[in-house]
Amino acid sequence: MSLTIYEVVSLLSAVIAVLMLGSKSLPLQVSLFSVQIWLITGETVFFAYQYNHWEFYGVALILFLQRAVFVPLFLERILREIHVSRDPGMILPAPLTMHLSILFFGLSFFVAQNFPAPGPGGIVVATATASISHLFSGIVMMLTRRLALSQIIGFLTIENGVYLFALTQTNGLPVLIEMAVLFDILGAVMIGGVLVFGIKRSFEHIDVSQLKDLKH
Amino acid sequence: MYAIKDARLAGTFVVLGAWIQLLSLICVTFPLFTFGAKTIFVCADFFLTPFDAAFVVLTSAVAACAFTHGHIFFEGELVGSDPPTSANVRVNYACAMFFVLAMYGVYFCKNLGYLWVCVESTTLLSAPLVYFSRTRHALEATWKYLIICSVGISFALLGTLFIFASAQHGAVSGGTLRVTELIEAASKLDPKLLRFGFIFCFLGYGTKCGMFPLHSWLPDAHSEAPAPSSALLSGSLLNCALFAIFQIGQIVSASGNRLSSEFTLWSGTVTVIAASLFLIRQHALKRLFAYSSIENVGVMLVAIGLNSGWLFFLQALNHSIAKVSLFLLSGNIVQATGSKSLSDQSGLMASAPVWAVLLALSVFAGTGAPPFGTFLSEWLILMRAADLHYYVNVVLLIIGVSLSFIAVCMHVGKVIFGTRNPHLQCFRPLASSAIPALLVVCSLFLGLALGPLMWPLMWGSSSDPRGNNVTWRLDGENWQ
Amino acid sequence: MTLILKYALFILCLALLPFLTIGWLRKIKALLQGRIGAPIVQPFFEFIKLLRKSQKVSETTTWIFRTAAALNAATMLLAAFLVPWLSFKPNFGGDDLFFLLYLLALPRFMTILSGLDAGSPFGAFGSSREAYLAMLVEPAMFISLVALSLLSRTTSLSAIFDLSHRCSLYELPVWLAGALALFLASIVDLSRMPIDDPSTHLELTMVHEAMTIENSGKNLALVEWSYFLKIVVLYGLTAQCLLHSLTYACHFSQLIAGVLSIALLFALAAVTAIVESVSVKLRWRAAPDFIAYALTASLFAMAGALIGGIYVTHNL
Repeated sequence: MSLTIYEVVSLLSAVIAVLMLGSKSLPLQVSLFSVQIWLITGETVFFAYQYNHWEFYGVALILFLQRAVFVPLFLERILREIHVSRDPGMILPAPLTMHLSILFFGLSFFVAQNFPAPGPGGIVVATATASISHLFSGIVMMLTRRLALSQIIGFLTIENGVYLFALTQTNGLPVLIEMAVLFDILGAVMIGGVLVFGIKRSFEHIDVSQLKDLKH
Repeated sequence: MYAIKDARLAGTFVVLGAWIQLLSLICVTFPLFTFGAKTIFVCADFFLTPFDAAFVVLTSAVAACAFTHGHIFFEGELVGSDPPTSANVRVNYACAMFFVLAMYGVYFCKNLGYLWVCVESTTLLSAPLVYFSRTRHALEATWKYLIICSVGISFALLGTLFIFASAQHGAVSGGTLRVTELIEAASKLDPKLLRFGFIFCFLGYGTKCGMFPLHSWLPDAHSEAPAPSSALLSGSLLNCALFAIFQIGQIVSASGNRLSSEFTLWSGTVTVIAASLFLIRQHALKRLFAYSSIENVGVMLVAIGLNSGWLFFLQALNHSIAKVSLFLLSGNIVQATGSKSLSDQSGLMASAPVWAVLLALSVFAGTGAPPFGTFLSEWLILMRAADLHYYVNVVLLIIGVSLSFIAVCMHVGKVIFGTRNPHLQCFRPLASSAIPALLVVCSLFLGLALGPLMWPLMWGSSSDPRGNNVTWRLDGENWQ
Repeated sequence: MTLILKYALFILCLALLPFLTIGWLRKIKALLQGRIGAPIVQPFFEFIKLLRKSQKVSETTTWIFRTAAALNAATMLLAAFLVPWLSFKPNFGGDDLFFLLYLLALPRFMTILSGLDAGSPFGAFGSSREAYLAMLVEPAMFISLVALSLLSRTTSLSAIFDLSHRCSLYELPVWLAGALALFLASIVDLSRMPIDDPSTHLELTMVHEAMTIENSGKNLALVEWSYFLKIVVLYGLTAQCLLHSLTYACHFSQLIAGVLSIALLFALAAVTAIVESVSVKLRWRAAPDFIAYALTASLFAMAGALIGGIYVTHNL
């Protein structure tokens, strides 16, 4: 009945993902996202240390450089350029989405209980809860936010959840695949960022709920 | 490609490169088809079986046709009103080449992880293709495309992880993502995790291929992209995503779970019905053809659900040929009339008779009318479904396909006949009809010439209890 | 510790701590603002001064206004006797969790009515704002206390906060989240920043002060005293939650626990002072967002309690 450090860090990261949903200011969202990434990177490093998978140090390094350093800087640069800092009304008001995602946190606990017993080194319910709750938080964020930048952050949160799942439930994917996955996500974020600039330039705002000319 | 400053020179290079690629691929894969060689081996995770090689050749052919026609099309764009910048065109060519490379990668990868990476990179590389014209609509379409497909793909990654976990807990210590190993160890995979994995992967790759509830990006993306890019997207990208679903379905059905086939079958049927309903009210030519693509994706899903790889390939082949021709022609029409909506395009028969005839023939080819090849493949799929006692699906499919045929013909009929549009300006009418004509002829050939070869399949199939593969013999090869 | 000593110590704390806490809070705030500030015992002197002053009561008031202050003080005193806001508080029984919530709600109700009673417009909208905030913040307090009660399977507050039971790893996040939820909810309930500025002179920005603005003399003394008692009760509860989460790390003797309770109480007051100095009063429309964080913390406490409960019973 012990709580390992993986579980603590994963659950903390999931809690921060939930809190991120409650904030209406974009810089705060970016900062909370950075905190999540720091936690997950730390967990990867600890994982590499504990299981002596030296290649995971490399994965942790790339994850760190890419998502803890590059992506927040990139997003902040976008924020500066487009002069938007408040996310206005959404489909649901921000605090309600936060509460909704807590409910999903509980739901992911029940979902995670249905997984079979872990293989060697796999850690079960708490980390599975955390990763699935990351997924849900990201989905809620993408569905309820109107600003394009928030949608990118939501997408990255989903990816965090998937990565956390890979790390804890299956002892990590083969490293080459992990690297390739990380680079792909990086590419997605960059293209997304370019598009955000384009949207700002063409539409004078980055409110994607206004992008509805192409109905039908 | 970007380094070449002149867009037209770049275009010529691209076209030459594409045809050289096609020819070399045919040479390389020829032994697979005729001399019975099993695989072309690159390394443990990347090899080609005859089935995959067929798809690779198809993709390469589609690319060659699209690039050739694209050369002419972009020349027309550059001299027309509101020309795109030369940089735009060159970026388009560069991204398109890498995009085709990524699609080859999808077929080469026999490792689910690399498969995911390749599919995601196709999404990323095709986004600049959609964003070509830099207008507001293009931006909106690209944003929707990127976001919806990326979210879908991350679900697919989760599904891949679940499959990995099922291998870890059941069969192979340390887990594996190699398709061959997974199929071998299929019965020992953990069933619950495998089920989760299949559902997530299906949702993810299904988003990418435009399955019914997750298709909303497809009409926008395929209509905003310039015609050659639309042809590439419709003709080959959808095949990639369906191929991924097929691979995973193989694994799941090898483990004895019938979930994958039933699920795929029903979602294919629903997609067909939904797409045909959408087709009734359409206002733009390219959106019309995009919805027709969705309908064909549904038919291909049904083929996958019937566990028949070669039927899937046949439908993919016919659909690609017809759809590429349709999109290229529609690109010509849009370029000539300067507008995308159906109400502005009418009287094609009077102004550009060659195009009108080709359009009519391509529409017949694309919606499954005899004597074209699409009819044959859809007929075979329906027969197979009836053999396996999926009667409800057969009826629904027939309704859907007929409905879409009527709808598309109705809309295209208004384009071909009717009052002549005075603003029509054809750019190089003969050259721009060359490729579509070639494709129509191919489709006709597939329908007519291969018809007699299909008779033994149509009348001589052995009906098996539901769920088992029906093995047909054709010229000494195993068709599964 | 003998029972007599316990009682005596408790009465002493009850008499002194309310004034000392608020004096300490004001002192910290003054120091942060660069002033020397009033001495820590100043509220005590103010209380005595107010008791000696005469009252001026508006003519439009009824018995509600005249009795509200006394009722508030009495109810708060009862709450201070029942709620275990110090670790060495003797157990007087009758300390059900729901009773506490109603005990906190009753004075609030009377204050709202008395604000309306005086007939001034400021009282009226102070009352409506207070009612609105109370409606939003009660779930937070309620859920966090219920989450804590799930841990000990009883609703008796003294049993919940009993220090003899050591906190396990699965209970730790519940206590921490509960402490955070209670702290945030107390900030709202006590009308501190960023919800309401207690030292504002502008009636249009007042929430709590507007209701009590008509009181003078003895009534004002009683109103202030009940406010001080509320501070120590709510912050004392929060301090107890923190103390319980500290027992995860080590075990305390009764003496240490007692000293730590008082120390944590003052620490929380200091934190409030710091928060008040660095934050600005929120726009009224933005107040529910702040309260949402309190509700979030309490929901996490509840989730932790439920999940931890499932863990314990299934022995995972």
